[in-house]
Amino acid sequence: MRRFLTGSVLVVFTLLVVMPLLWVLWSSLKAGDRILAEPWAFPKKLHWENYSNAWTTAGIGQTFLNSLVATVGTLVFLLPICAMAAYVLAKYPFKGSKLVQTIFMGQMMFPTFLVIVPLFFLLRDLHLYNNMPGLIVVYTAYSLSFTIFVLGGFFQALPNELMEAAMIDGCTHSGTFWKVMMPLVRPGLTVVGIFVGIGLWNEYNLALVLMTSPENRTLPLGIANLTMTQQYQSDWGALFAGLVIVMLPVLLIYWIFRDRIHQAMLAGAVKG
Amino acid sequence: MDRRGRTAFIVSFLAPAGLLYAVFVLWPFVQAIQFSMYRWRGLSMIRRFVGAENFVKLGKDDVFWQAVGHNLWLLVVGGLFVIVVSVAIAHAMRGGGTVSKLLRSVHLFPQVISLVAVAVMWQFVFNPQGLLNGALRAIGLGTLAQTWLGDPKWSLSAVGVAFVWYVAGFYIMLFAAGIQSIPADVFEAAELDGSRGFHRFRNLTWPLLWSVKRVAVAYLVINVLNIFALVYLMTRGGPDRKSEIMLTYLYEQAFVNSQFGYATAMAMGNFIVILLLSSLVLFAFRKDPTARRA
Repeated sequence: MRRFLTGSVLVVFTLLVVMPLLWVLWSSLKAGDRILAEPWAFPKKLHWENYSNAWTTAGIGQTFLNSLVATVGTLVFLLPICAMAAYVLAKYPFKGSKLVQTIFMGQMMFPTFLVIVPLFFLLRDLHLYNNMPGLIVVYTAYSLSFTIFVLGGFFQALPNELMEAAMIDGCTHSGTFWKVMMPLVRPGLTVVGIFVGIGLWNEYNLALVLMTSPENRTLPLGIANLTMTQQYQSDWGALFAGLVIVMLPVLLIYWIFRDRIHQAMLAGAVKG
Repeated sequence: MDRRGRTAFIVSFLAPAGLLYAVFVLWPFVQAIQFSMYRWRGLSMIRRFVGAENFVKLGKDDVFWQAVGHNLWLLVVGGLFVIVVSVAIAHAMRGGGTVSKLLRSVHLFPQVISLVAVAVMWQFVFNPQGLLNGALRAIGLGTLAQTWLGDPKWSLSAVGVAFVWYVAGFYIMLFAAGIQSIPADVFEAAELDGSRGFHRFRNLTWPLLWSVKRVAVAYLVINVLNIFALVYLMTRGGPDRKSEIMLTYLYEQAFVNSQFGYATAMAMGNFIVILLLSSLVLFAFRKDPTARRA
């Protein structure tokens, strides 16, 4: 009886989690005007054209590329500069290094909305407002704290003897880092890269404030905009296809790396 | 090792991250404190130092306090819901079995997908012709159908449901890890003493989850007070400001009304509420009750 009860609670909850997602998936293949007319009905015919409509007519393709550039572009800068900083902070103690480390963690303590107005004006003054380089710079800056924090843990775990041996073999400080230490923290770079990458792919608040022209919109902005423009046509096929397009890559990556993402989330939550 | 080479190395390796951080994180932070004390409207560069004027105005702004109230309502009611659901599910998942294996792999789905997708999806669930009303009509409860998001009585609760759906997985993960870290022999000993079922949960599992509860409540404070996109996209704070929360009001003041000084003061207010509530949480959980017994 008790096992039956727990079992049914779990089944109901699993359905609650998965059902809305499956509904989006099957609705994305329905005729646009049927999505709200018969919300529970399965598609009679598979309307794959919703996806091509979303990609080209509704402009989701452009926003998809923008998001890809923003996410990958940020990671390309973020990972090396954070690895460098985390390495020095973990392995080269100097006077005040603890303080520097604390300051670097500061960004995780305050909400981004606290600085949204000053940031908006700063980017305008630097001509980084409403363009991709600006968004990448901001995304990089606001991912520093977390990335340095996680990578610091990985560098700390490497034995000092490795460094010393490399130096005796004639490596310079930076040679030791690039040739010996950096390859050893590859698992850490993967985890933090995936984790931060997912967050950037989904990021909405900063992009909303900093990217205003239609051609600069990232995917979440594009989706949000579609809900407004499609309203007048009550043709929701392209919007639902867009929802699948924004969710699917992240779910796939999550599925492949779920154990490691799990560990990273727990480590971050319990230590942070 | 060569001393001078070492210093140059440290500086050069810290410089890229340090510069970005100083210019784009620390400097705006300092400016936020400054801006909150200026009267500054529109895109003109005319700003006037007015000291605490914005904060005094904030104190008398009914909409702001209404928004704070909505945030707190979401924190207490939504938070309670999240804790109960996630503890129950984490506890039920403990046994293993096919369903809990399946759930273990999907429970974080809502957490990893875009919040915009979550908001749009729930907008359609609560649409007058949407999934929820469709279900109510199908089972003959059509009279219960509502406009949900368009109804001042329901809009905040509807947003709350979407919020719980979005975050629950994270808290299930926290509590599942907490339950897993309780040694098996503790349960065995309880079993021998005849303690099982709800009795065992109340007297053993729940108190032993102390540190996880602390983390969970602290995260809830931060999570709820940072809600923006969900409300902004689902209701715009409406109807009639009945689902307005701090950050949607802030966004409106800054980027619709161009009240930049006032909006920054509001951001400070939001930050101060977060600091106060999280210190309260840390204070409430300052002593580990299980440590005393051991």
